[in-house]
Amino acid sequence: MSLIDAKTLAYINMFAILGSLENLTRLSADAGDVLTNRKPIKIAFDVKGGPKATLTFKDGRCRMREGIGKCDIKIPFSSCAKFNGLMDGTTTPIPTKGFRHIKFLLKEFTPLTDMLAKILRPSKEDLENREFFELSTTLTFYVLTVAVAQIANHDEIGRFSAAHVVDGDIHMVVEGGPAATLRVKNHHILTHKCLLPDPPKAKMAFESFDLMRAVIDGGVNTVACIGEGSISMGGDISMLDNLNRILDRAALYLS
Amino acid sequence: MKINDYTKSKEMFKRAAKVIPSGVYGHLGPAEGCFVPVSAFPLFSERAKGSHIWDVDGNEFIDYMCAYGPNVLGYGDEDVDAAALEQLKKGDCTTTPSYKMVEFAELLTDTVKKDWAFFAKNGGDTTTLAIMTARAATHRKKIIFVNGFYHGVAPWTQKLDYPGVLPEDVANNLYVDWNDFGALEKLAAENEGEVAAFIATPYLHGNFFDNVLPAEGYWQKVRKFCTDKGIILICDDVRCGFRLDLAGSDNFYGFEADLICFCKALANGWNVSALCGKEFLKSAVSGMTYTGSYWMSAVPFAAGIACINKMKFLDAPKLFREKALKLTGGLKAAGAEHGFDLRVSGEPALFYLRTANGDSLFLHQEWVAECVKRGVFITNHHNHFINASLTDEDIRKTVEVAEDAFKAVKNNHPEL
Repeated sequence: MSLIDAKTLAYINMFAILGSLENLTRLSADAGDVLTNRKPIKIAFDVKGGPKATLTFKDGRCRMREGIGKCDIKIPFSSCAKFNGLMDGTTTPIPTKGFRHIKFLLKEFTPLTDMLAKILRPSKEDLENREFFELSTTLTFYVLTVAVAQIANHDEIGRFSAAHVVDGDIHMVVEGGPAATLRVKNHHILTHKCLLPDPPKAKMAFESFDLMRAVIDGGVNTVACIGEGSISMGGDISMLDNLNRILDRAALYLS
Repeated sequence: MKINDYTKSKEMFKRAAKVIPSGVYGHLGPAEGCFVPVSAFPLFSERAKGSHIWDVDGNEFIDYMCAYGPNVLGYGDEDVDAAALEQLKKGDCTTTPSYKMVEFAELLTDTVKKDWAFFAKNGGDTTTLAIMTARAATHRKKIIFVNGFYHGVAPWTQKLDYPGVLPEDVANNLYVDWNDFGALEKLAAENEGEVAAFIATPYLHGNFFDNVLPAEGYWQKVRKFCTDKGIILICDDVRCGFRLDLAGSDNFYGFEADLICFCKALANGWNVSALCGKEFLKSAVSGMTYTGSYWMSAVPFAAGIACINKMKFLDAPKLFREKALKLTGGLKAAGAEHGFDLRVSGEPALFYLRTANGDSLFLHQEWVAECVKRGVFITNHHNHFINASLTDEDIRKTVEVAEDAFKAVKNNHPEL
């Protein structure tokens, strides 16, 4: 049980990692440039026994929708493990539909995912550029918050944690940076990459980008940060207590 | 009204974080202690006396956490400390245990109406011993817990998703809701012949929710059921012990536990805990490999004897109840004056507070923070504790602070 679960990892890879293309194309001019002047295109990922989603690239932006809708390219995977292989480079995707769009996959989609990989696994040197630092931290924050939901909904121990979380919204905020709402209903979590207007039931805030980065990199003790006030909590602390247990597992999956 | 400054506390915390994991770990720390916001709370104390503590910045607090229970007669109680210091002159941690252990066991078993006492240091030592004893006596492995429980920090008391806990550590744990006797019957039937023990606190005094007293006849039904099924009935009286009834909280609620765990109020802060039990389990516990370097230290035994005798002299539970009702009545009235619905739950001697305006806890946390900043140490999501040294003047001052704190919260929320 302490090992990571392939299905949960597939959901994380789909919705947290690939899903962060939405934010990449919104936040990075370079990413938008890759998609400039192209006709709208939809690419669907169909994982047997796992997640299914469709990415739409339009007007320099990307949107992800859960499920397989009308698409230009369809890439099936015979298992969650095969899909996870796409992310670590051990599986070569073979579309069953849209061969005439293969140029998009090679010339636009792959550069975008390469860019994403560079941002989510940044070098020390890259992080010295403040703009890159904030972009990397922002995207990683979104990956983390979406991964939490996938773990809460699919991982066995994550589901145990989620079973102890009451209904309501949790706001996670980086002061001066990104924010997300984790909406809990019937022990199922859905992450919105923004602050929803309803009053939250609990809130966790990180005082700066730098602190968020340090938390991501494991460079600080988060409990000590709570003690010194750089991470603040409020509202239903038991929600946050259980959320933190899921965050621990997110670190395991994302490592 | 003076608002506290915590400059030195913050400096000390920075030093602490360098050499102590998380600065202050556990329930006395700002994370687990739910200090919201942490800037409202003192982090280190300098001294304590009676019902008061002074932090490293010199701020004085009327303390309703009582070190989370051990302070039952008042910090630095002269009678208890005199007995402890007298014993210290004679010996404390020695090769053969002091005869004080026997005197303490005789007094304790007589007080709590049990047949034997086994001493250790912390409440968790005794809950673990209780579980081991039940398993040894019944040759069964499963334990039934009540949802929302806290029985210490040993792996078996934690949950599947806690760091460092293995699935195997909690594989034999079963869970039922409090006061749901039908669920207990059903669960036991599903695990017929496998359940060693049912462990519960005298009432549901968990954190983050209003505390719940036992339903009429609940404990009596549980007692009979456990007897019929050969299940050992364990009362975790670590938190409530001696605050409801000097004969134990099982006596208070009209049932007899097979095993009962004591710690917090046993020796007014001198470190000793005890598992007490009935005769039929004495042989099982005797065969256990279970001991510790300081478990037979004599000073806490001497303190425990003095503490129990003084609690008897004072009729402490009656005193606690009277003081608590006076206090919580004042707090509720102070809230009502400013439009706040302050809910008080649990037994008065261990009152739990929640501001019930709206469905979130933010307002309650704001009010608690305003109280602490003004010198009344209460906490957000844990029950509180009354001690015998609490004076009418302390209660009057507390209500005054609470009223000013409610006023401050009201000013921050014109929408209310």
